[in-house]
Amino acid sequence: MTDAASVNAAPQAVPARHFGDRSARGRTIQAGLALCLGVVMLVSLGWGAASDIDVIAALLAKLGMGSASARDMTIIWDIRMPRMVTGALVGAALAVSGAVMQGLFRNPLADPGLVGVSAGAGLGAVSAIVLGGLLPLGVQAFAGPYLIPFAAFLGGWASTLVLYRIATSGGRTSVATMLLAGIALGALTGAITGFIVYRATDDQLRDLTFWGMGSVAGATWVKLMAAGPIVILTLLTAPFLSRALDALALGEPVAVHLGIDVQRMKRIAVMSVAASVGAAVAITGGIGFVGIVVPHLLRLLQGPVHRMLLPNAALLGAIILLVADMISRTVAAPAELPIGIITATLGGPFFLWILLKNRAILEG
Amino acid sequence: MLSAENITVDFGVRRVLDRVDFAARAGEVTAIVGPNGSGKTTLLKAITGELKSGGTVWFDGRDIRDMKAAELATRRAVLPQSGNVAFPFTVLELVRLGLTNGCATADPAQLADLPRQALARVGLAGFEARFVQELSGGERQRVQLARVLLQIWEPVLDGAARWLFLDEPVSALDIGHQLVVMQIARDFARAGGGVVAVMHDLNLTSMFADQVSLLDRGAVKSVGSPREVFTDEHLSACYGCALRTNTPPPQGGPWLLPQAAMHVAGTL
Repeated sequence: MTDAASVNAAPQAVPARHFGDRSARGRTIQAGLALCLGVVMLVSLGWGAASDIDVIAALLAKLGMGSASARDMTIIWDIRMPRMVTGALVGAALAVSGAVMQGLFRNPLADPGLVGVSAGAGLGAVSAIVLGGLLPLGVQAFAGPYLIPFAAFLGGWASTLVLYRIATSGGRTSVATMLLAGIALGALTGAITGFIVYRATDDQLRDLTFWGMGSVAGATWVKLMAAGPIVILTLLTAPFLSRALDALALGEPVAVHLGIDVQRMKRIAVMSVAASVGAAVAITGGIGFVGIVVPHLLRLLQGPVHRMLLPNAALLGAIILLVADMISRTVAAPAELPIGIITATLGGPFFLWILLKNRAILEG
Repeated sequence: MLSAENITVDFGVRRVLDRVDFAARAGEVTAIVGPNGSGKTTLLKAITGELKSGGTVWFDGRDIRDMKAAELATRRAVLPQSGNVAFPFTVLELVRLGLTNGCATADPAQLADLPRQALARVGLAGFEARFVQELSGGERQRVQLARVLLQIWEPVLDGAARWLFLDEPVSALDIGHQLVVMQIARDFARAGGGVVAVMHDLNLTSMFADQVSLLDRGAVKSVGSPREVFTDEHLSACYGCALRTNTPPPQGGPWLLPQAAMHVAGTL
């Protein structure tokens, strides 16, 4: 009797099997992440300054329901809200760009930072900080807060274009050439950046240092309006690449045989990543490792199929960046640590762990 | 009907294929054979459009250069010689990648079940949840075959034959599975589709192919049925070895018994 009972009970004790199809698991994870993101966004708004009740009151007041104190309204709407939205967008952009790049390069260690997009964007931003004063006053006044984001965006885009020209011949892109050229370009842009930094004044150096470590503390509605739409646009483009990225995992020829216009898909992927990373780097500076850690974790949990991977990467990327931002506001309070330090501290060891676990990927 | 004229491919200064003509009919298995380096795989790549070549490939009377990748994918599927998979896909997730526009099955319930049917067809029922990276070479090759079969599940679509291109489909397989895979190819052809296969095993080719193109050093040496192509004279010259063709029951095709290498020092 006991035996029969335990046999009958056994199937319930075993977690639901996926039978090779992990899309249901992906959807469950998606629902969980969406819920989690909602909570984190709300908590992030009030973190360290206002209670969650005050936050909800301020949100309702904005919608014309109830009232909130002027102090809460200012903190939550003018300081916290742009910071929260920026953090969420940048986190999503970095994670999705990472996933797209890894799919494109067929390598879980590929990252926008690897092909020189971040370095190019960095050169743009540094040039704007140091050399912006040389522009005619009229141009400076006209550009205003858009100057640094725009320059970073241009730098990221330009380095991608140059890279693409080098790596593409006869309508085909060689991934190996692209990676190596990315390293060379990154070194070159880094050297030019170094030269410009060498010429900077003490005040400019301080700005450069904080920008370089990555921070969402400086986020404002104005900066967000300049770069946010580009990020949103590229996030919306990514899902259309899902099937092509899946097919590309089997190699370029197989993707072509499966009916994918591989060259066109590569152009779209590279450009959207350049635009999105350029814009993200412009607002927040260098925030590393989100693009590697998030897609890798999700592949372990729900598999590599991009239809579920890309949206879930956006959600998890946003959550991780918002949580990292909250940590950065707390650990050295009342001062704030740049968020890039937090992500690098958590992401560096994780990256090494992937590296050691997947030696075959590097050698194969 | 598939035909290729004047296919010429150069790798740098080396001419790999020199004005090769090739033709294959729907309803038949057409094999491309020849020694290592004779240009078999290159010819297959030129015919599928994977490799740019001098010359023209006609697909039911249309130049394949005028056909977009998405359209070609509904007309033909290609099994590459070897394929490594970049990320940890399960067998089912990988086979599902074959569900392209070409699957043309109206019923969604049936469409959802096709990947399992394709796996059962290649003898891998029950493998759905396994990770592709954990499989043996032969199992992996059959998973890829299931994906390819899924892409052109109906051998004839809208009255036009669909084509199955196989690059050494049995190279990693044991003798039992070699026969399974060759039988799948033959069934596909008998149902009205076209099959073009690069083959190494001449005896299997003799058993399953209707037509054979024998390549040597980038040129076609002989075209015809296995009986016409597989003669002592042709094969000895191309493969550089002494051999004798024979005719055993029950298939009635030529049957080969390799005898000795000819050009290796010390063997003759």
